[in-house]
Amino acid sequence: MTMERHAEIADRLEAYALDQLPVLERREVEEHLQQCATCAKDVHELRAVLAGVAETVPPVAPPAALRDRVLSGVAMEAQEPVRRERRVGIVQQPRRPLSAMVPWAAAAIVVLAVSAVAFKLIDQSRRELADQVSRVQALNAELGQRLELFRGQTDLALSILTSGDMREIPLDGRDNAVAAEARAFLSPTRGLLLVADRMPEPPPGRIYQVWIIEGNVPVSAGLLGEEAGGRGMLIATPPRPGGGGSVTVAITDEPPGGLPAPSGTIRLAGSI
Amino acid sequence: MLRRLATGDREAVAELYDRHAARVLGLAYRIVRNSSDAEDVVQEVFSQAWRTAPNYEASRGTVAGWLLMMARTRAIDRVRARQARRDAGVEPDPETTPSTAASVPEQIIANQQTARIRGAMADLPVEQRTALELAYFEGLTQSEIAERLQIPLGTVKTRIRSALVFLRRSVRS
Repeated sequence: MTMERHAEIADRLEAYALDQLPVLERREVEEHLQQCATCAKDVHELRAVLAGVAETVPPVAPPAALRDRVLSGVAMEAQEPVRRERRVGIVQQPRRPLSAMVPWAAAAIVVLAVSAVAFKLIDQSRRELADQVSRVQALNAELGQRLELFRGQTDLALSILTSGDMREIPLDGRDNAVAAEARAFLSPTRGLLLVADRMPEPPPGRIYQVWIIEGNVPVSAGLLGEEAGGRGMLIATPPRPGGGGSVTVAITDEPPGGLPAPSGTIRLAGSI
Repeated sequence: MLRRLATGDREAVAELYDRHAARVLGLAYRIVRNSSDAEDVVQEVFSQAWRTAPNYEASRGTVAGWLLMMARTRAIDRVRARQARRDAGVEPDPETTPSTAASVPEQIIANQQTARIRGAMADLPVEQRTALELAYFEGLTQSEIAERLQIPLGTVKTRIRSALVFLRRSVRS
């Protein structure tokens, strides 16, 4: 990291802490924060000060009904699981070469969703529009969360695909999975991106789990999507530091939630 | 308490709410200027807190800071949506005052750091405070602030930076 680069990022930390940066610049800063303790500490302090600014606003006692509304809302919601790997399930998209679809899959979903919303807005009369807007707001909030998730996944996928130590491993199907096609992109430092197509339905009550096997020791990379039956994708951070030697990536069927070590039949596998 | 929340204890949400709802509502109201929108923000924030608690990282700041950060983001989103509606020619919701009086429960009386920042905010030169408030409470970008205040972009940057340097110093001292 050059001093100029550091100075250039340091110059944007206030804007970053205030969420004023466009997405690409925000990512640049976030990457830098991973490597620069000085800037990370600065951001931490800026956030603390900004939280302090928020706390200078006089509190407003909430109406009693709001408490009930909040608590009954929470009673119906599930918590998200602790984040160990990032994954998505089946991706519905026109067929394209697998290697080309990956970085764009997340972006395409967002673009489709946003276009759908935009189309609706244009198509409504003004009065209907007001009605739509409140629905869109709710959708917007949800989309925002999804976008955040997709952004993380796309970032990780891109960093795997562009990593200098990335190796591409085609997986061959066996038994009922001979027609399936899957390809793993494995970077020992960035993680694993696996895309699969034409996967058979897993046996009843089973899901697909992905393994990285080095030196005969399988380590779980994550789950491939419980619905299977088509296209699946897994984007995961490295399950353990890899040595860059010979490695096998395999997909087995396992009970829901997966297991720490494989127990089921190998459906697809590939080695380098 | 957050550990209980993270392990799925729904009663912990009630505690979290009792402790922080008034601050979250205060901030949401300060940004959206409409009590029904502000209450919606409160509901969204606590539901997001519940959903995401298993992945909360204590290194990112205090629980109050975390809740307020979510409130700010959501409130600003609402203001932007309202702006978009206004641009589309739909009547905006009227600004309303909170339906309840601002009585402050004991536990949320400002702590020392907040008191320091509040003091420091009051001591800020007015142009610096205005720039910071437009950035923080209205979620404007630096160019939007420059346009709003009819000043050069560089000046906006300098004002915000000076304001934050001043506030940081006041917290440390």
